Amino acid sequence: MKVSVVCVVVLVALSSISSPAWAQVPGPNNAITDVPGIKVGHFTGNPLTGTTVVIAEKNGQGVAGGVSQRGGAPGTRETDLLKPENMVQIVNAITLSGGSAYGLAAASGVMQCLEGQGVGFPVGGGNVVPIVPSAILFDPGRCGAPFTYRPNASFGLAACSAAQSGPVQEGNVGAGAGAVSGGVKGGLGTASVVLDNGVIVGAIVAVNSVGSTFDANGNLYAAPLELADEFGNLIPIHGGPPPKMPKPAAVPGGLLRNTTIAVVATNVELTKTQATKIAQMADDGLARAIKPTHTPFDGDTVFAVGTGRISMASFGDLSVAEYVIGSAAADALSRAVVHAILSAESTPCEKSYCDLFPNACRNRKKGAQK
Amino acid sequence: MSRDRRSSSSASAAAIFTLLIVSVSWAQTPGPLNAITDVPGIEVGHFPLPSSDPTSPPPITGTTVVVSKAGAVGGVSQRGGAPGTRETDLLRPENLVEKVNAVVLSGGSAYGLAAADGVMLCLEAQGVGFPVGGGHVVPIVPSAILFDPGRCAAFSVRPNASFGLAACQAATGGPVQQGNVGAGAGARSGGSKGGLGTASTVLTTGASNGIIVGAIVAVNSSGRTFDAQGNFYAGFLELDNEFPLIGPSATDVVPPSNLLQNTTIAVVATNAKLTKAQAAKVAQMADDGLARAIKPSHGVGDGDTIFVMATGTDTRDATNLVNTIGSTAADTLSRAVVHAILAATVGDCRVKSYCEQFPQNCAK
Repeated sequence: MKVSVVCVVVLVALSSISSPAWAQVPGPNNAITDVPGIKVGHFTGNPLTGTTVVIAEKNGQGVAGGVSQRGGAPGTRETDLLKPENMVQIVNAITLSGGSAYGLAAASGVMQCLEGQGVGFPVGGGNVVPIVPSAILFDPGRCGAPFTYRPNASFGLAACSAAQSGPVQEGNVGAGAGAVSGGVKGGLGTASVVLDNGVIVGAIVAVNSVGSTFDANGNLYAAPLELADEFGNLIPIHGGPPPKMPKPAAVPGGLLRNTTIAVVATNVELTKTQATKIAQMADDGLARAIKPTHTPFDGDTVFAVGTGRISMASFGDLSVAEYVIGSAAADALSRAVVHAILSAESTPCEKSYCDLFPNACRNRKKGAQK
Repeated sequence: MSRDRRSSSSASAAAIFTLLIVSVSWAQTPGPLNAITDVPGIEVGHFPLPSSDPTSPPPITGTTVVVSKAGAVGGVSQRGGAPGTRETDLLRPENLVEKVNAVVLSGGSAYGLAAADGVMLCLEAQGVGFPVGGGHVVPIVPSAILFDPGRCAAFSVRPNASFGLAACQAATGGPVQQGNVGAGAGARSGGSKGGLGTASTVLTTGASNGIIVGAIVAVNSSGRTFDAQGNFYAGFLELDNEFPLIGPSATDVVPPSNLLQNTTIAVVATNAKLTKAQAAKVAQMADDGLARAIKPSHGVGDGDTIFVMATGTDTRDATNLVNTIGSTAADTLSRAVVHAILAATVGDCRVKSYCEQFPQNCAK
């Protein structure tokens, strides 16, 4: 438990937001891959766009999943099958991708990749159909990129082939490569938390939001949720005139088009119904980290999976266990959003948060926090 | 598409039954093509079509695309238990995008969702889609699949993006080929050969005069479309002698071989001007058309999914017509199911078609 005194004070002061009723610490990689059974792979294009795949397994089989789809302009695949009443009880992977609806093609490559490994829902005769829900974000044509350059099946295949446990690269990579967020460069972020009862929860997110992740002074909304100095000693910005905010980059002649997409995972065995509830609660983590969120122009979608390494029954009251996991998932997702914004790097078209607020980030050693 | 019908007592009984059950309060007739393409602006394309060479084997899987280049207000009802879908979330009434440019129905289980990738490329090349600035578009292409892989060929034979591209490029507003084509190529239904069917209804009286409703369906159901005597459950909904049946006779009914690997998928189109919420309601009501034509339907292994496309070329406020349109959509979909089964004239490697099973029931 390396929670600093300062951090404890902050957490106590803001307990109305975070209410941590249980001890918590980030996992060794502070990444969704701290959840056993989770692997992550990125493929990053040039110009910046890309695909991130989260593979979930237990004993080589898929695990239960759920979804919360509350943004107003979604692009999705296979969310209907996640409804608790529907037959298929597992997911094998979740694909997050740039490219707007065109990027849904990436999931076809992930399916090829997994079929090649014999991973999927068994349909007899040794054949499988990989279950690969997917969501996309809008990034085509940004920063001078050709509109027709976007993730296709080959992106999904490459991201799936690259999937591994261990540290997860953040910032301008994978599905977050081309992302923007409320006037600054968006990106990909991840985080994890280990509770003292053995529950592990991780989150990964591609932040590409209409809304901003920080207030008018530049303070990140979710900064109070920091665990173990993970944000690198951000300096709170007190009053004073906020720096001039560049307007979020609009597509020429069009409305703002965005979308934040995420996966949360836990090592607890979940039913589909429980995974759905966890996804709903985790979605509140977006609300706390990004303002506004779930707008008509954001297709915000949050998936949840449970890799079944420990039984929920071991915690006694199932509803209380769900409450704890869902709450931890929301906080992990909020923190992953902060990591995404702090890890993002400036492009010729968009400044990063740390380049826009160098004072806030001046104690932060680049890349040292993971 | 009216055909001669042999008179029979059962037909008269069915007609009376129709009056009792349906209690139609509006006059209706099939459109000139008795196909979803009777709705102006709706185009249909299949890939593959059967070979013109009768000795070549029938296609074993495929893709059907329903296109509205001008865009049609979309809705969906997803009630089957094992769905494979794309872009159904955006169809929820509260979400931003209102219009869909195409709906893709495909074989291949979840792998077949790749067909929609090809449809998107086809439409983008035509400049058809949701405008996102700079002259660029994102075609809105919801999709659903059915399970047919491995039935008569290797499991790896399945629709990919090229199927969607070819089906989209073949889309036209004319007559629609039925039976073992497109998404219905590899279909089975309750132990018989399934297939692709279409139907349309034109309302001709009162406030609904001029409303056109069309349906297209790929029937790949665990449940049967007919009773133990070979009577179609939806036979009573026939319009203008469209079903070329002689009459029922008791015979053997073949059970389906797999109750959990199926799915019936459909599109209903209308020229009415509907909101997204109204389109969703019409989809829900249309789904009852499956319930009346297939028993059981919406099973655990059926991913039954119904899309609605409302083109709005009839610009009247349709608020007071939603009930009529929904009810007509259900009946039209039921009739399309019967057309699918009757048009599936060639069985596949293991199952017979309805008309092969009940030759005395088919007028052909």
